[in-house]
Amino acid sequence: MKNLKLTKGLITLSSAALVAALTVALPATAQAADTCVKTTVLSGTKSVSVEKCNGTDGNNSKYEIMMPAKFNGTLMVYSHGIRYNVNLPAIPVVAPKGSLVNYAPEVAPSTEVAAALLAQGFALAGSGVQTQGWNLTEGVDAALQVLTIARDKYSKISRVVTWGNSLGGLTSQALAEQYSGAVDAALPLCIADSAQAEITMAGDFLWGMKTLFNPAIKGTNYSAGQAGYVEMLTDLGTVLTTLQSLQAAIAANPTAPAWPATSTAPAALKALPVRSVVLLLGLMAGIPTQSNTYDASSGPAGASETTFGLVLSPALAVLENGAEAAILAVIANYDMEVRYGGVVFDNSTTNYVSRVSEELDQYAAALTGRNSALAVLGYLGLMPRVKANPEAVAKMNSVYQLQGKIDVPTITLATTADNITPAGAAQYLKNQYEASVANGVSKSGKLLTVWNKPDDAYTEFSSAGAPVAPVVKTNGTGHCNYTTSQILAVATLAASAAKTGRLPSSSAVNAAIKNEPNLFVDPNFAPPLLKFRQ
Amino acid sequence: MIRNKSMKRATLASAIVATSAMVLSIVPAQANSTGVTATSIKLGVSTPLTGSAGLVYGKVPGAMRAYFDYINANGGVNGRKISLVIRDDKYLPTLAATQTTNLILKDKVFALVGALGTATHSKAYTAAALAKNNVPDLFINTGFSGFTNKAKYPTTFMVLPTYAMEAKVMAKVIKDNFPGQATFMLAQDDEFGSDGVAGFTTAGHKFSATPTLYPQGTMTAARAEGALSALAAAAPGKPVLVLFGTTDVTATILKAAEKLELTKKFTFLAGSVGADANTLLALGVKSTTIDGIVSASFMPDAKDLTDPYVKQFIDINTKYNKGVTFDNYVLAGMNSAMLTVQALRAAGKNLTRAGLISAIEAKGSKFASAGLVPLGWSATSRVGYNGYWVSQLNAKGEGKPYGGKLVIYTTDSGAGAVEISNFTRPTMPRNGIPTNS
Repeated sequence: MKNLKLTKGLITLSSAALVAALTVALPATAQAADTCVKTTVLSGTKSVSVEKCNGTDGNNSKYEIMMPAKFNGTLMVYSHGIRYNVNLPAIPVVAPKGSLVNYAPEVAPSTEVAAALLAQGFALAGSGVQTQGWNLTEGVDAALQVLTIARDKYSKISRVVTWGNSLGGLTSQALAEQYSGAVDAALPLCIADSAQAEITMAGDFLWGMKTLFNPAIKGTNYSAGQAGYVEMLTDLGTVLTTLQSLQAAIAANPTAPAWPATSTAPAALKALPVRSVVLLLGLMAGIPTQSNTYDASSGPAGASETTFGLVLSPALAVLENGAEAAILAVIANYDMEVRYGGVVFDNSTTNYVSRVSEELDQYAAALTGRNSALAVLGYLGLMPRVKANPEAVAKMNSVYQLQGKIDVPTITLATTADNITPAGAAQYLKNQYEASVANGVSKSGKLLTVWNKPDDAYTEFSSAGAPVAPVVKTNGTGHCNYTTSQILAVATLAASAAKTGRLPSSSAVNAAIKNEPNLFVDPNFAPPLLKFRQ
Repeated sequence: MIRNKSMKRATLASAIVATSAMVLSIVPAQANSTGVTATSIKLGVSTPLTGSAGLVYGKVPGAMRAYFDYINANGGVNGRKISLVIRDDKYLPTLAATQTTNLILKDKVFALVGALGTATHSKAYTAAALAKNNVPDLFINTGFSGFTNKAKYPTTFMVLPTYAMEAKVMAKVIKDNFPGQATFMLAQDDEFGSDGVAGFTTAGHKFSATPTLYPQGTMTAARAEGALSALAAAAPGKPVLVLFGTTDVTATILKAAEKLELTKKFTFLAGSVGADANTLLALGVKSTTIDGIVSASFMPDAKDLTDPYVKQFIDINTKYNKGVTFDNYVLAGMNSAMLTVQALRAAGKNLTRAGLISAIEAKGSKFASAGLVPLGWSATSRVGYNGYWVSQLNAKGEGKPYGGKLVIYTTDSGAGAVEISNFTRPTMPRNGIPTNS
């Protein structure tokens, strides 16, 4: 949930003028008022002397710069992931203690990573963007401003790596594409796809939940002002209740779980086990069939071993993954509708049957048969769809869209079972880059994609045969779920690339990831694109 | 001082990078001879070894390995010994994708051989980027018509005929031998069953009732009894009941028929996937029930000791696959291995992935094999066996030609007619060791 933080919103920034002024590589910043202190950071047992500067940039975004006493010449500018753009009361799962919009600057994905990089001599910088939510434009501005402030302040900075998590990964890539002269390398982690692609994934799942399980879910078209805010909060509660109902039904009777009482679907459909319908929704939306707990491969020892892996596990994985997707859909829809002035999710012309044509065969057993799935899809085909506001969509898409125009060495790290920013987002960038190379716009040899996959099989079972949720989140699943050592491995590679202007050699890459069994590089590996792109 | 040191290191690092200069993204799409050395060829297979499917199909990879061991003991292929990496996918699509990816990335095999299952392999094919890596995907054990799509599966060669072809042959058998009888179909509700239903439709066959499609894993004894009771009540005489499912489901249905005393009510026409007599007997079906089941097949019966291929493979199995009972699955595995050896030989000494694919396209239809129907590989076709013969099981579980005479039918997966072929199988290579080039 860390990177799922959507925020409040609607602070209009006059950043257009700034962007116009930043068409040259390294512009002067509009404002830089900072306070610096000498401090120490502990990396393991090593104490690192650091000068830490905090301030506010020209757009009122808070920033932080950490300069180690033993500086190696490379500054890493970090863009944080999406944060909630609204204050939230205490809501189970989403915000158990409630939350306020967070504007604090972040310089790395974690304090542990930050400390380790500082210990290696890297300077770190990052902002807490003044406009939260889907803030790609403002995020690029903030990153560029803190970069410029740092360079002005420390002339010894000779190289810059832009990096970020999730939406921050998209931000860092957008920065590198738009202002390639400002950076020497880019490192987007768990990169998000465009707003429209991401909202389509989350929105499809939420629309399916509403249509099949609980029509009380509003999902889109929130009212203006306070009323809309209340509708959004109400929706969060309704979605959570529906998810809990599904979870309880499957736990009570995994083979033939009942539908939620709120469902208004025809009785013929309700004859199907609801887990199969949950799986179908996941496949329609493009939600991974492996999750933190469920690997779609293991089963408890004994007679049901194959059945569990084949029939139950993929559905349970979708439910576990989809819970976050549905929550994201509610908050993101609300954020984007307010931001862009109308409904942005649109499935009015979506052909869900063709979307899942291949998966229907691959998951036929878990779907309770191909024809059962087609029956559900047939019903969905008759149900009212959501039509977006064209002006709102146009506004959403008027922000920078990645081109794959990569001029500086760029390394991406993506997880094959990321449930919020699926690996297909990194693949999309790769496809765009290859097209850019083919068109003579970009030079070849500038993009390296590192993939992070889960272990071959990881679901644990109790002695009674029940699946057990892992204590530590399963690497290779979940959103932006990387170990410190994995992040450091790719960060080091990116820093090396910034130095040389070229991607590291294959032997250097292999050496960097040799102790990371879940990381792999295969130029031909191609995870499916987000459904919006297919 | 520190800075100077850093700069020196940086300069040195740059120099090293410059001289090694192999940037990943400009490496050509995998070396074409990955997994091949002067003395070895590494092949791989992802297939069920454990779980419920492993109980049925688990013998196949061991049989392939046994045949390769036999070839290795006799000089290998062009001086190279063949090794086979076997990974267990439990017949689960996600695990098959994982294991196939492991075969490519971790084991670095040259080619895949004998992958089993439609859902499993279609997911694995994409996940492991077999097309982009140009990995030869030999002799897959599935009859899903989708794999005939060369554009989508450019490196795949099926060994089985398609399910659609099988259904078309079955339709002809019904038309020629059971005129006037009611016909029904119980089929798995996935691409397997859908392919079968489509084949019957293409052949112009109309069942007496809409085929009953059941999801894999849901054909319980109670459901089978209900279905049989309903069908028995629906039609007088001795209706033909087509069973288009896996062997465990065939067993469930036949045992339900036993319980209801309906074994003689129907003529059971079982698809090749679900008619292995040994497995049916092992699953508790009575020999008297098996006696008379009609089935389509493209291979000789593993119990036919007069067949030179069967005899040779039994000898190899005895020596190189000790303790494993010879049956149709062992026969299928060894046959695929023998086809593989011929393909490797046909590709020549300079073995490359592209060369292997070209060799099968050019010469594969002439390979020697145990199959009683012709092979159809070419530059445009990815289908292995192109037809069926029709057998009838006896109480011993032996498959004998239906009507007492071997008739070979050939057809395609589309609208082509079912024709009787005069195909003559190539002679078994001496001692079971191919010498083709």
